[in-house]
Amino acid sequence: MAAISAILIVLIAIWPINNTLAVAATSDYGIDALFKFMLYFAAPIFVFVNGYVLYFARRYKHRRDEPADAVGIPLYGVVPLEIWWTVLPALLMVVLGIWSAVTLFGLYKPQAGALNVEAIGHQWKFELRYPGLKSSFYGDFYLPIDRPVTMNITSADVVHSFWVPQFRVKLDMVPGMVQQLHFTPTQIGNYPLVCTEFCGIGHGDMRTTVHVVSQADYDKWFSGEQQQVAAASASAGALNLAAGVVSKGQAIFEQKCAVCHNMAGFAQKKVGPGLQNIFSDPAHPKLVDGSAPTPEDVAGIIEKGYSGDIGVMPNAQANGLSSSDVANLVAYLKSQSK
Amino acid sequence: MSTDTIEILRRTEAPIHPAPESFVRKYIFSIDHKVIGVQYFIVSGLMILLSGLFAEAIRVQLTAPHNTFLTPQQFDEAFTFHGTLMVWFGAIPMVTGAFGNFVMPLQIGARDVAFPWLNMFSFWTFPPAVLILLSSLAFGAPNSGWTEYPPVSLQAGVGIVFWTTAVFTVGIGATLTALNFLTTVIKMRAPGMTFTRMPLFVWASAVTAVLSLVATTALASALGSLFLSHVFNVPFYDPSRGGTVVLFQHMFWFYSHPAVYILIIPVFGIVSEIIPTFARKPIFGYKLIAFSTVSIALLSFMVWAHHMFTSGLGPWVTLPFMILSMLIAVPTGIKIFSWTATLFGSNLRLTTAMLFVLGFLSTFTIGGITGIMLASVPVDWHEHATYFLVAHIHYVLFGGTLMGVIGGVYYWWPKVTGRLMSESLGKWHFWLTFIFFNATFLPMHFVGLLGMPRRVAYYDPAFQGLNLFISISAFLLAGSFLLLFVNAFWSLKKGAAAGPNPWGARTLEWMIPSPPPYYNFKETPEVYATPYGYGEPLPYSAPYNSVSTTPTY
Ligand code: HEC
Ligand code: HEM
Ligand SMILES: [Cu+2]
Ligand SMILES: [Cu+2]
Repeated sequence: MAAISAILIVLIAIWPINNTLAVAATSDYGIDALFKFMLYFAAPIFVFVNGYVLYFARRYKHRRDEPADAVGIPLYGVVPLEIWWTVLPALLMVVLGIWSAVTLFGLYKPQAGALNVEAIGHQWKFELRYPGLKSSFYGDFYLPIDRPVTMNITSADVVHSFWVPQFRVKLDMVPGMVQQLHFTPTQIGNYPLVCTEFCGIGHGDMRTTVHVVSQADYDKWFSGEQQQVAAASASAGALNLAAGVVSKGQAIFEQKCAVCHNMAGFAQKKVGPGLQNIFSDPAHPKLVDGSAPTPEDVAGIIEKGYSGDIGVMPNAQANGLSSSDVANLVAYLKSQSK
Repeated sequence: MSTDTIEILRRTEAPIHPAPESFVRKYIFSIDHKVIGVQYFIVSGLMILLSGLFAEAIRVQLTAPHNTFLTPQQFDEAFTFHGTLMVWFGAIPMVTGAFGNFVMPLQIGARDVAFPWLNMFSFWTFPPAVLILLSSLAFGAPNSGWTEYPPVSLQAGVGIVFWTTAVFTVGIGATLTALNFLTTVIKMRAPGMTFTRMPLFVWASAVTAVLSLVATTALASALGSLFLSHVFNVPFYDPSRGGTVVLFQHMFWFYSHPAVYILIIPVFGIVSEIIPTFARKPIFGYKLIAFSTVSIALLSFMVWAHHMFTSGLGPWVTLPFMILSMLIAVPTGIKIFSWTATLFGSNLRLTTAMLFVLGFLSTFTIGGITGIMLASVPVDWHEHATYFLVAHIHYVLFGGTLMGVIGGVYYWWPKVTGRLMSESLGKWHFWLTFIFFNATFLPMHFVGLLGMPRRVAYYDPAFQGLNLFISISAFLLAGSFLLLFVNAFWSLKKGAAAGPNPWGARTLEWMIPSPPPYYNFKETPEVYATPYGYGEPLPYSAPYNSVSTTPTY
């Protein structure tokens, strides 16, 4: 049994997991190594339990020539043995626990200079918002190789999840809450992005592709998309709050902001505070950044974003807003204030 | 019933209650724990079968990546019914209501449970709950899985009302049964049966009762909140009105993690009875086995969030849950090692019941190991909610609970019916089930690790080969159970008379005729030592020490 275990351990050691399921991101942070470590002790446990069961079943089987009332040896326990098989597994679990804990904190650590992308789950598609791009994307996402990514993930309706098997990481997209998923793509290729949390009848088809491409290809794709943004903002010009149109603002709000904000009183929080009466709420005379609720300051928060006690408010780039969008939004917010 | 009455029941020879005469009182509204046990066995057995049919429908759908056998809507209903029926209507009533009711009072030398009328009431919450659940098929079935996470479960319409009501109703029965069993074990043990002389199945039943009593209240809160959300539009789970989605997951798993131990601890008890009987020697490390059962039960209340490692709890909350989940592996390991060690130096009788238990040792070990893998948060981030998780739960629930239950059926069948089953048919059943079980569920680990999520009606065509293999194995696995039914019917018609103690076992239920008389024990037995002293005289007062312990099957 020791020999079989040893062979299995060697086989596990030389097994290139990468060949079975490619590793395409450094979020791997040793997840595969941890998995292998668990296989290392799983193999002998499995072999020894099964081996002894089989061996004892043959060795001690009742034989025809034994008396019908034959019994086994009256062994009620062997204390040292029992101590061993309590203490050894406990130690093993301590090692596994420490290793897992270290890896776990690595997973939560943001990387410097990360590309911040908003990912929003919908029944039944993924939406991604890139900083600096006006339109949202619903499938066939691009990510540059070797650049750290922080996915800010949430959901517009029910619980979904964000999983790229080749990146090895997954988090749920929970409505009313933003989670950050950090990873760095390291392999050029096309990988599936799948939802694993049951989300209704479209769940089985909630799959799309993530394209990890070279920086040059990414830049090409990005500037192509950006030209459209530029074309749009050229026609819009610089921020001109007076030109805001309420109905346009409302449409943008529902598309971009309602994931995180309710059009209700400040206390009716979703991810961020409710935004009704933002210009005239006696209970909240100041904005979250401490400034007075003037149209300019509200526009400032929408443009620059803000991260305070409540959470992270993405900036206009991340939300893909042009300056005319901001003006429209402010106009809409004003119309919703007494 | 006051303590006095219980004392009287225990000490005198007076009948607890007169034997019923009418058919209705004897077989329908019976207060006899043995009849109630059989009633539970029949209804929960039927539910397991029905649930199995839903599972086969799932597997038919998954033979092809874009199969049209079921619509996604029907597919979602199928896995919801499969899980719901299996957990609350099949396995839990089977291991507590059926085995607990029939075996536990006999093993402690009692004439019935502490509250026989309450016991009848518990059972009669069960068939109505089944009807409520099944009637939802006519009105719009629940379809978000046995976990019914909101908000998606609240989109399903009226189905969720049926689902919560049905589960709540069986929950009432389960709680009352737990109360009943706990009282019975504490107050009604035969004189001389100290805690350390209790058979291990009795230990298991008592610990399970504590788990049910404490945990089911959390389930009631979870169900209640869904019900109120649907019926009165209370925004518990609507973030746009101040609700919090993960609250439900906390309440649900605060119940459902202990519940998986409600499903397995009685089976630990069954296994701990079958092994000494057929090894014909005392169980190895009785005290450590009993102690590990208690510590598993305690730990099981402190690990619920390991089902929520991806739900956004953050590193500092997940950390303690991860460590405590890993710790559960220690008492679980103790059990597996002690059972294996009991085989050493045995005089082993490889009956069908014993084969199922050996099969259990093999498969449950795999389930325990995959449990550890899922408990490590970084690895769980890859495996969570995939077919790897589906493989884990089936190695512990099919390879663990169901294998143990079938072993228990082969073991106690002669006691219940007075007749033996066919051993050769039984062995065929074992080998076919064991082989096709592994063929069905082992590949699920791989398909999950490679990227297939759970609860999907359609999947990436890259996984077609493995899925087809899994489905074919699943059909054969279901087919292997036909042998059990053939065997059971054959035994009822033609089986040889079993006699009181065909296996040569030593716990009290084998010291009385098969099937046991209405009052179980004419005189209350006295107990002088542990039941597992093979080779020594029986540790009971006359006449319970005169049964032969030579196997006669
Ligand atoms: C990813 C979630 C998210 C999205 C999307 C989002 N916000 Fe916010 N927003 C927040 C959070 C969180 C805060 C509070 C920041 C804090 O104080 O910590 C906030 C704060 C604000 C505030 C200040 C509120 C106050 O009372 O001071 C305004 C105004 C605002 N957001 C407008 C918008 C608009 C307009 C949009 C749409 C373009 C938008 N937000 C999109 C999360 C979001
Ligand atoms: C060594 C012991 C065990 C450990 C460490 C363990 C660990 C885990 C973990 C961490 C999960 C959650 C995985 C995820 O959602 O990503 C899980 C799921 C599950 N476990 Fe275990 N487990 C063990 C034994 C058992 C036993 C004995 C049973 C039942 C008999 C069981 C039944 C289940 C079920 C039903 C689920 C899935 C629930 C669902 O999401 O539908 N486990 N286990
Ligand atoms: Cu989904
Ligand atoms: Cu659990």
